Amino acid sequence: MSEQFPEQFVRWDTFSSALWYRTRAARYRLEGTRCTACGEKFFPPRTGLICPSCHARAMEPYPCAQSGEIVAVALDDVGFPAVGYGDYMPRVQAIVRLDDGIHLMVDIMQIADPAEVQVGARVKMVLRKHKREDTGAWVYGYGFILDKGA
Amino acid sequence: MGKILRRVMMIGGAITPPNIPMDWTWRQMAAEAFWNALQDAGVPVKDVDLVACNYNDRAIADSSPGPQIADALGILPKPVIPIANACAGNGIASYTAWNAIASGRCDVVVSMGFARSDNYDAMEAMNSQGNYVDFDYMLGLTHINYGAMRDAYYRRKYNVPLEAAGHWAYWCNWYARRNPLAASYSKPMPVLEELCADTPEAERDRQATNRGGVASAMVFVGEDVARRYTDKPVFFDVAYAFRPPYVGNFFHYPVDGMREYDMAELPGLMAAAREAYEVAGIKKEDINLVQVHDLTAYEGMMALEALGLCELGKGKDYVLSGGMTLESKCPVNTYGGGPAFGHGSAGSDFQAGVLENYWQILGKCGERQVKDARVGVNTSYGTHHSLDVVGVVQKGW
Repeated sequence: MSEQFPEQFVRWDTFSSALWYRTRAARYRLEGTRCTACGEKFFPPRTGLICPSCHARAMEPYPCAQSGEIVAVALDDVGFPAVGYGDYMPRVQAIVRLDDGIHLMVDIMQIADPAEVQVGARVKMVLRKHKREDTGAWVYGYGFILDKGA
Repeated sequence: MGKILRRVMMIGGAITPPNIPMDWTWRQMAAEAFWNALQDAGVPVKDVDLVACNYNDRAIADSSPGPQIADALGILPKPVIPIANACAGNGIASYTAWNAIASGRCDVVVSMGFARSDNYDAMEAMNSQGNYVDFDYMLGLTHINYGAMRDAYYRRKYNVPLEAAGHWAYWCNWYARRNPLAASYSKPMPVLEELCADTPEAERDRQATNRGGVASAMVFVGEDVARRYTDKPVFFDVAYAFRPPYVGNFFHYPVDGMREYDMAELPGLMAAAREAYEVAGIKKEDINLVQVHDLTAYEGMMALEALGLCELGKGKDYVLSGGMTLESKCPVNTYGGGPAFGHGSAGSDFQAGVLENYWQILGKCGERQVKDARVGVNTSYGTHHSLDVVGVVQKGW
């Protein structure tokens, strides 16, 4: 990257726009699924898949909780493999337990100091730009920020 | 479990040394390991009934590697089963080979793997459909990130000191200086105190080193066939199991044997170990030699716990009490492990452990030889422990 090329110009991945399109509900608003037979909730969504708990094939959309608590934290100061996140180093990543019990591995965003991110901290979901897809369009998806008002 | 029609025996194997020439193609690598394994076993190419071969370049895009591999190995029209299951895939290849022999369908099967992973851009290859689900890797959360997260969580949950990780890496390096096939064989021995330090450099040194391109192969036969080729075969058994492919689901997956654990344990490896011990007819107390696939020292300790060598969270005590050394009743990672033998990906991560145990049982390991090696167990895993494989080799007749 340079002044002439302010964005990463080497393409590292080959995901198609169709793949991004198919995952939009989960990426934009944390839409998972729930088994209508046994009630188990899942993220990532298991639309059309078989429930590993009761073996029914009866999933319905389920809106995951949008806030939760950090249960593990790690700092990514390596940036490997580079996937369009070079501008954001170091990244602070966490396992978040949502208020409905679902767990996610996520980026904790808008951090001034990585030391702010601690196990037990409350977080809430935000929608953010992540990277450019092959067509040049921005990919949006979920991230989490510290919920300092909690 | 169904009925096993006959025992499977291992009669030879080979692995390419570190730093193979850059101009070797994947075909040359595969042929090198295959040829050397057959030479080691005394088996002519024409006797091979089947090859099960793992590779890790770009599994989905390369949709028909079977005939190419069979052609390179000179066994056409006999079949090759191509397998793409990440770093542990050569364990799955071994499982496939084992099944072909145990069922009686084949007499001589070669299990192998190769990783000429610089054929493709690494990121492009990892982003194939075979790695990860749509909500981790796609959003920039990789298996490297998972490893750091898991280690931090494991350390916190079980209060594991840096010292334990430092000792783990130290003993891997100690063995590697006595194993000419290890990536760190000729490098200076690291200092224990430095390996135990809380620095980024020490953290890196406690993790796996890269072998670069690598290929390995092992020759299996039915018990009734083994005497045709050797008077020193060993019994070989293998099992594998999966856990959810999404990291968040490690904390809650509604299946027995999974829901009671989280990211600090390896329930897939526990399941694979149970089955492997049952198939091999051994108890964990019988094991006197272990090789684990460890990209970090912490997951090495987690693997010992999953194998039943110690209680959950007590891997640190096993290491710090000298459990890895040759004086232990069950030494660990005599091949050099991830930190010093090196990460071989699809090429060798499972087979390197099997081969070490095989050579140990045959008494061929020189300064790192384990006294009275009889039952060796090894582990390997793929991606972020979404698949785990356990191999067992035992002294034959």
